[in-house]
Amino acid sequence: MAKPAPASLIEYPVVESRQVGAYRLISFVAREIAESAIPGQFLMVRQSGPSLDPLLPRPLGIHDIDADLVRILIEPVGKGTDDLARLRVGDRLSVLGPLGNGFDSGGGGMALLVGGGIGVAPLALLARSLTASGRDVHCLLGFRTRSQAVSAELFRDYLVEVFTEDASVGTRGLVSEPLSAYLSGNVGMKDKQAVEVFACGPDPMLREVARIASENGVRAQVSAAAHMACGIGACQGCVVRTTRGYQRACSEGPVFEAGELLW
Amino acid sequence: MVGVPEGLSTTLGPLILKHPVINASGTFDAMEAGRIIGDEFISDFPFAAYIPKTVTLNSRVGNDPPRLYETAAGLLNSIGLANRGIEAFISQDLPLLKTLPVPLIVSVAGERTEDYGRCARLLDEIDEVAAIELNISCPNVELDGMALGCDPDRTRKAVSLTREATSKFLIAKLTPNVTDIVALARAAVAGGADCLSMINTVHGMALHPRTLKPVLGHVTGGLSGPAVKPVALRAVYMVTGALDVPVIGMGGVTTAQDVLEFLAAGASAVAVGTANFRDPLIAESMVSGLRKLMDERGLGSVEKLIGIAHRP
Repeated sequence: MAKPAPASLIEYPVVESRQVGAYRLISFVAREIAESAIPGQFLMVRQSGPSLDPLLPRPLGIHDIDADLVRILIEPVGKGTDDLARLRVGDRLSVLGPLGNGFDSGGGGMALLVGGGIGVAPLALLARSLTASGRDVHCLLGFRTRSQAVSAELFRDYLVEVFTEDASVGTRGLVSEPLSAYLSGNVGMKDKQAVEVFACGPDPMLREVARIASENGVRAQVSAAAHMACGIGACQGCVVRTTRGYQRACSEGPVFEAGELLW
Repeated sequence: MVGVPEGLSTTLGPLILKHPVINASGTFDAMEAGRIIGDEFISDFPFAAYIPKTVTLNSRVGNDPPRLYETAAGLLNSIGLANRGIEAFISQDLPLLKTLPVPLIVSVAGERTEDYGRCARLLDEIDEVAAIELNISCPNVELDGMALGCDPDRTRKAVSLTREATSKFLIAKLTPNVTDIVALARAAVAGGADCLSMINTVHGMALHPRTLKPVLGHVTGGLSGPAVKPVALRAVYMVTGALDVPVIGMGGVTTAQDVLEFLAAGASAVAVGTANFRDPLIAESMVSGLRKLMDERGLGSVEKLIGIAHRP
């Protein structure tokens, strides 16, 4: 996986904060991060200040980078993310990063980006980077319902198909179904090196992506989610089960080869 | 650390520390931090001594995830002493840790009482190991460790077996999950401990708010962070009031004011744990903040501050 540059803990003012359906898009100016971040890397983020509740930063994938502007996408699902989603322009963030190993985008051929729910977040930067290197990018984005699917607008520069479980937007169903059809139908057996899968989303989705990619002989890289405390390899708290035993999502991941993960 | 302010040095027996702030075992990985934050972090090391994560005689994979859950101003963990074993630690980690510019305190835990002595014997020959901390208080392992750390007689036995195996400065890390922590402290000192670390984490658990099932893979865990500070402060105050032995105070230390209070309660040094997860660079600001808080109170040296809460 792609190797990280040194990280630093810095405070940044929020320069943009807007609602994108169920998610909050927050931007800050961080040249240090913008210049060194690799798609799939994450940041440890908390609201600046002395409050001890929430106590710890939250790991958030880098959503996108536009010149010096770094964007994160937040789904409020608990006290930590609720507070982050309430941040407005001028509020301050403490940010440690970029951290972890990102996607290896050094391969060739078409890139199939598969995202589920808030897992779509890091795929925008990946789509940008892959497109810039001249690769064809096709995004399959799946959501429960419309309020989340609104975030597909963040991918309007790319070829996107949207799926929702309740058919409120796009096609009804999970992203795993079109992925299977895509890999078994659109790609001939002799062309398996010509497509790569990159995925981020809930565990059941990643498990399906790993299975389908494996059945079709296609390389898949997946970004695994875990509760983290330190984000820098100290606490051993964020381990995931792999063929090499427990591995830290923050240090050996968060991006793993799909075949390495045990579900 | 560059430019440590005057008057902050403190001692733990023969160990001379530039200032009273060290790290708690398992909460800070010096080599990972150096790799991620940069090499200057190692040369300007922010802690006055370094304690790596606890090692055991044999390697341990640790507990099933999820291993972490944040609670109100606190953190539950059940890591389960994941480590590669003491031989790998000595051959692979120690050569790097020897390059740190501060005293090295190695934390060991036993899966059986005899393991403490066996680990200590292996460390006894290594000059760069300044002290050994006996983790007799991890709440997350189904081993002798916890039961041992709750029982004064077994605590004394484990410490005395270690004492026979090494002439190193010996620190016993105590659990707060007991009725009488002073009795345990006495037992550890009777067994030959030169110093006490307190406290390890407090037993706790959390339920998933929706499913109402235990969140942690191990069901129960250890609580740390600001939520446990009053428990820790009491333990330090009680033990330093009853015994004449240096104490490393820890439990929820998050600000310079917390460092000040633990020293005032009787600790000779203070360890930072969970707060490292909040900010891996926090120790340096604690040290400068401590100097400022001491100045405001006209306290020239840490020596004058230690135990001030006990005095009329």
